[in-house]
Amino acid sequence: MKPDPVGQFSEQFSQAITRRHFFGRSALGLGGAALSSLLSDGPAAASPAAALGELRHFAPKAKRAIYLFMAGAPSQLETFDYKPRLNEMFDQDLPESIRKGQRLTTMTSGQKRFPLVGSKFGFKRYGHSGAWVSDLLPYTARMVDDLAIVKTVYTEAINHDPAITYICTGHQLPGRASLGAWLSYGLGSMNSELPAFVVMTPTWTGRKEAQALYNRLWGSGFLASKHQGVALRSQGDPVLYLSNPPGVTPMTRRRMLDRLARFNRRTLDAIGDPDTQARIDQYEMAFRMQSSVPELTDVSGESKETLKMYGPDVTKPGTYAASCLLARRMAERDVRFVQIFHRGWDQHGNLVGDLPKQCHDVDQPSWALIQDLKQRGLFEETLVIWGGEFGRTAYCQGKLTKENYGRDHHPRCFSIWMAGGGIKPGIVYGETDDLSYNIVKDPVHIHDLNATILHCLGIDHRRLHYKFQGLDMRLTGVLEQSPIRGILL
Amino acid sequence: MLWLGVIHCVVWFPLSLVIAEEVEPAFNRDILPILSGNCFACHGRDAHARKADLRLDLEQAAKAERDGEAAILPGEPEGSALYRRISSKKASFVMPPPESNKSLTPDEIKLIALWIEAGAPWEDHWSFTPVTRPALPGVAQTQWPANPVDDFILERLEREGLRPSPAENKITLLRRVTFDLTGLPPSLEEMDAFLADVSPQAFERVVDRLLASTRYGEHMGRYWLDAVRYGDTHGLHLDNYREIWPYRDWVIRAFNENKPFDAFVIEQLAGDLLPDPSRDQLIATGHNRCNVTTNEGGSITEEVYVRNVVDRVVTLGTVYMGLTLDCTRCHDHKFDPLTMDDFYSLFAYFNSIDGKPLDGNRKDHAPILKIPDAHQAEQLAEYDARVGQLTKRMREPWPTIDALQETWEADLVRKEQAEESGGDAQKEDGSLVLGDWYVVGPFYDNRRYLNSRKHGPEGRPVRLDETFTLATEEIVRWKKRPDWKDGKVHSDLPGQTAANFLYRTITSPQAQKVEVSLGSDDGIIVYLNEKRVLSNNVSRGVAPDQEKLQLPLKAGTNHLLMKIMNYGGATGFYFALTSGETTIPEDVLAIAMADRAQRDPEAQAKLVEFFRSKVAVSDELEAVRSELTSVREKRAEVDRGIPTTLIWREATEQKPAYKLNRGEYDQKGDEVARRTPVFLAAMDANAPNDRLGLARWLVDPNHPLTARVTVNRLWQQLMGTGLVKTAEDFGSQGERPSHPQLLDWLAAEFMAGGWDVKAMMKLLVTSSTYRQSSVLSPALIERDPDNRLLARGPRFRLDAEMLRDQALCLSGLMSEKMGGPSVKPPQPDGLWFSVGYSGSNTVRFVADKEHDQVHRRSVYTFIKRTSPPPQMSTFDGPSREASCVRRERTNTPLQALLLFNDPQYVEAARALAERVLASGGDTVGARAGYLFRLCTGRFPDSEELADLISGLEQDLTTFRADPASAAALVGGDASASETDTDAGELAAWTMSANLMLNLDEVIMKN
Repeated sequence: MKPDPVGQFSEQFSQAITRRHFFGRSALGLGGAALSSLLSDGPAAASPAAALGELRHFAPKAKRAIYLFMAGAPSQLETFDYKPRLNEMFDQDLPESIRKGQRLTTMTSGQKRFPLVGSKFGFKRYGHSGAWVSDLLPYTARMVDDLAIVKTVYTEAINHDPAITYICTGHQLPGRASLGAWLSYGLGSMNSELPAFVVMTPTWTGRKEAQALYNRLWGSGFLASKHQGVALRSQGDPVLYLSNPPGVTPMTRRRMLDRLARFNRRTLDAIGDPDTQARIDQYEMAFRMQSSVPELTDVSGESKETLKMYGPDVTKPGTYAASCLLARRMAERDVRFVQIFHRGWDQHGNLVGDLPKQCHDVDQPSWALIQDLKQRGLFEETLVIWGGEFGRTAYCQGKLTKENYGRDHHPRCFSIWMAGGGIKPGIVYGETDDLSYNIVKDPVHIHDLNATILHCLGIDHRRLHYKFQGLDMRLTGVLEQSPIRGILL
Repeated sequence: MLWLGVIHCVVWFPLSLVIAEEVEPAFNRDILPILSGNCFACHGRDAHARKADLRLDLEQAAKAERDGEAAILPGEPEGSALYRRISSKKASFVMPPPESNKSLTPDEIKLIALWIEAGAPWEDHWSFTPVTRPALPGVAQTQWPANPVDDFILERLEREGLRPSPAENKITLLRRVTFDLTGLPPSLEEMDAFLADVSPQAFERVVDRLLASTRYGEHMGRYWLDAVRYGDTHGLHLDNYREIWPYRDWVIRAFNENKPFDAFVIEQLAGDLLPDPSRDQLIATGHNRCNVTTNEGGSITEEVYVRNVVDRVVTLGTVYMGLTLDCTRCHDHKFDPLTMDDFYSLFAYFNSIDGKPLDGNRKDHAPILKIPDAHQAEQLAEYDARVGQLTKRMREPWPTIDALQETWEADLVRKEQAEESGGDAQKEDGSLVLGDWYVVGPFYDNRRYLNSRKHGPEGRPVRLDETFTLATEEIVRWKKRPDWKDGKVHSDLPGQTAANFLYRTITSPQAQKVEVSLGSDDGIIVYLNEKRVLSNNVSRGVAPDQEKLQLPLKAGTNHLLMKIMNYGGATGFYFALTSGETTIPEDVLAIAMADRAQRDPEAQAKLVEFFRSKVAVSDELEAVRSELTSVREKRAEVDRGIPTTLIWREATEQKPAYKLNRGEYDQKGDEVARRTPVFLAAMDANAPNDRLGLARWLVDPNHPLTARVTVNRLWQQLMGTGLVKTAEDFGSQGERPSHPQLLDWLAAEFMAGGWDVKAMMKLLVTSSTYRQSSVLSPALIERDPDNRLLARGPRFRLDAEMLRDQALCLSGLMSEKMGGPSVKPPQPDGLWFSVGYSGSNTVRFVADKEHDQVHRRSVYTFIKRTSPPPQMSTFDGPSREASCVRRERTNTPLQALLLFNDPQYVEAARALAERVLASGGDTVGARAGYLFRLCTGRFPDSEELADLISGLEQDLTTFRADPASAAALVGGDASASETDTDAGELAAWTMSANLMLNLDEVIMKN
């Protein structure tokens, strides 16, 4: 049988056959190889859990990825897209020659005026690349020579729910598989004791009225649910139901597990269903997770220097800083994909009050994560992405004063950065016009961004697909997309 | 030689596990999938994507001569361009082209050659041809079939050289069928009764009993709720509560009443269009309202409208026709004979709802139906009667009041005459002076500010020179807004999530009541003279007359303060005086001017009503008036407590539908009319061309899809995999049926039997096929790992709901209550909060407490779609955001952790342990046997029993030595005195029960 994941036959079927065959044999004597789950073995084990397995489309630069997702849409104008012209044009109307009838959200489409406003925060150039970075991100500024800043990402969605669903799952409506689920499906797991895809949802200090997240953003959609992201929580059990009930010691549990295995092996002998063998294995893994997860989240062994790097919040569970440290610990343990959703970036009003807090939340820990990865030799093989779901308008939403302003959603351009495995360091990619309204050079669709992420992990986005409802579903949609060649190593 | 290759290749192909006996490739089974998967994208139906103007999806076009050759020349592979292209080694010539990332395997190429050699016979797509009932095939083992299902299954098995498995043992069969028809395990009594019944009808009796159980409807309904994507929240953005559980209850009732499936479909799609629809038929139309909706600030109404309708159309395709209509939203279908015109013509059936696309974040997003229970209906009637009496009293002659009225009338006449005579009579005494508006705000930016009374001027006298400091250290002060005129909507309040305060004085020459009309975006609180007179914390857009309010003014200066609370997006308010001395309506004035003797009774009554309700100041009248107000308020209170449910009501005017270029809402093409897809038989010409006609068309015996798709799902439910594995796709990209004739026979039988679902379920579960043993042999695993040939009985993991319900049922905890609002059994803290929008009314999960809530069957569990309950999602329960007609069945360590440690499963284990101790006999052996049998249905063998006992004894030793742990596990209130059991013993048994609930044998349907 030809293992051809991209052939016309549905790969899930061929996979099922393979798996069953394998199971069949394993049930008949190979013993408890861990096969089916989110905790499957790495590619080297030819794990059928991975659709691509060894057959990566090309040599990956990155083994794993960490996505720092800024939910709510950070303003490009106060972070990376420096537009002094806007300050000169304070309170002037957005020219129609720029807007070109572009649709606006109904939060501002009724405004009589669209008064322009520049960043209240200063910008300076940094590093060899001379990248402009706002004063709100002093730590990020120190590492621009490690980053590829892309100023020209765009999307079609103009509201949060469709937009974040779009960038995370490739489609504006619910029902598709998320980026991490695709990675888990395509590449499998490299760690037999931790999930392939872990999600964290830390606290934030800016605007309290934060946009929602949705489980679908790390859901598996039409892929098997074992590919969905596992939430690593700061409250209660780090992984749902990890702890034994009160009064049940690991020893009691171990004894029970042994008994359970004896019963299940008898069932296996009597009925011969390979699923029974798989279940025995899953229970063993569950038991191992009961120690591997607490070991992961226990940061007491981290050095003072390391903790200091992430800033004082690192010791507060559930903060962004603590999440970044955990992300590094997971990178060390070869978790394939970690996604941190930091909320509170929706600055419709009081941008001057809230945005500095948001930036402060993420600036130092993001920098520390990169430094930490570098110190441990993990940076070159770990892709790190920072960014939100769209950008913000050059004009003010609501009342414009000298002191304060707000910005509405802007889909036509926004800034992100990528770093690490597969990414050219120290470059700034793409140009927007003087108002950061339209892209003038090197547009990057969000599908291109996702294609880039897949590319760095060794996947040709056109060839990672899954047949569902008669279609070859892809993360990057049906139109022509391509990785951002200009920032690839 | 060629032939061997074919046999080799078909091992690859899912449904042709072995087709060695067949002599030539069949078009639908072997050839069409190759053409469809590799060629149709560029040579199919989509005219825009078509290359070289060549179509291979139509026989005529594919065989037509073009430039001296045909793509397919029957009988001559080498003379066929198609074959020469696919078999070419030249990159510039080969098809499919390398850049398409598609390529044919050598075996596929050989298949095509064989097929062309055989004359390239074409067939219509199997699922689009009308259903005809096939004759039963001949079988050798004539004694095996119990009903026609078995003839088809056996015929195939015999053809494959396989034998059916022996019949399943009675107890495993009982457990299997009880789960399959009720979603629950059998009780010990049911096991005993079945074992004792040795008559040939024993099993049928069991099936009849189960089909008659109300648990049947709950179980069957659950699958349907997956398909129609029922949820208890709107699903997008705020993901607020949505009230539509009466529809869920309707579904359960419909299955229990065995509503014929055709009526089931018609009532859900078009109950409102039936003549004189019943309440239930209206509730059923909630089916069309299950799509996710949004009210996100900034949403463009037209875009949301299109998305809502598209979702309905796509789901219609999946659930009833097994068609992937979503593709045709943007382009003609590449593989199936569906066009964009077809899509938007279906769209036109579902676009004219009498309601708004944005859901307003309201649980009762109109149109809705109120569903009062008996008690509520009674209360309403009572209040209505009292209102009637009081209203009557207000109309009756009332000498003291009438005397006042006479004086008032005389005054009016005098003043009017004075005005007419041009005299400068002073303004009438009752006139009001409304001061200018003042505003302060915005108090933003979080709910603390919005809802706290501390930060603004609430509850104390307003001082216009007062300033307020926000948390941002911004200072806000009162600003005069003389430009805000009454009777107009003002939307220029400072926006965003914030509260604004509005203030004005109202000077009245006397104590009087005046009525004002108010509107607000979103919530509003009104204070008159520092006393709160209205509070309505809603989420809405502003419009006139959203609130009617009586202001009891005192003589002199009154202070009116309004707080407008906005939860996002634009904010605004509306204010108008709708009564008061100054505004006697013209017609009322005219009546008063007329001679009393000349007035007709109707006019007189009108004047009396106006005077008594708006003008008169009298204690005795006030008593009636205030009772009337209070009764009306009480009525409103009851009314607010009445459950509502989302329904469909057609708009009076049909909204035009357009073909949308690339599926974009703002890219309107030609207007399209309602019609069904062209490639299917048309709707009956006499049928109304609306949803009712559409629904009837779906269940017309000529419709090739609905019955096939439906019986396939029922098969899938029982056997684990459908006859068509891709239950959601019966098109050419879907998988072909493993037993096409059986599928057609079942579909024909289903329709001929009056779409009788219970009869169909009975037919399936009483077949020998279903009743086979599920034991696997290594040979069978190798040969047919997915059990598509059904040489054995079904065995697969129970669904999430069945697992939880089983634990509740075995432990005796399960509440049998049916229906009502969805319930929230406990789940780990913080799951909703970690994702929810801060302003959502489902951002905080609060677990229910009552037994009837936390121990209800899982079909009643509240589903927040953006964070579904982990007990469901961990076991592949869908989020209900999109239609799901086929669940995955995964096997993960997270499932093991949940079954081990979820407090509700631990609680069930403890209750199960208590049950064992109370009813399982007196010896450890008897109790262990009782526990084992309760959970598995069978008695343990000696080895199993020994294992259970030794494990128990070990745990007993542990817990007795460590009473603190025992108490921690089973709780301090473990009532040792009553049951004569110590905590250690209960803890040990709890562990054993926990073990049982995790056994493979218990987790699986065997």
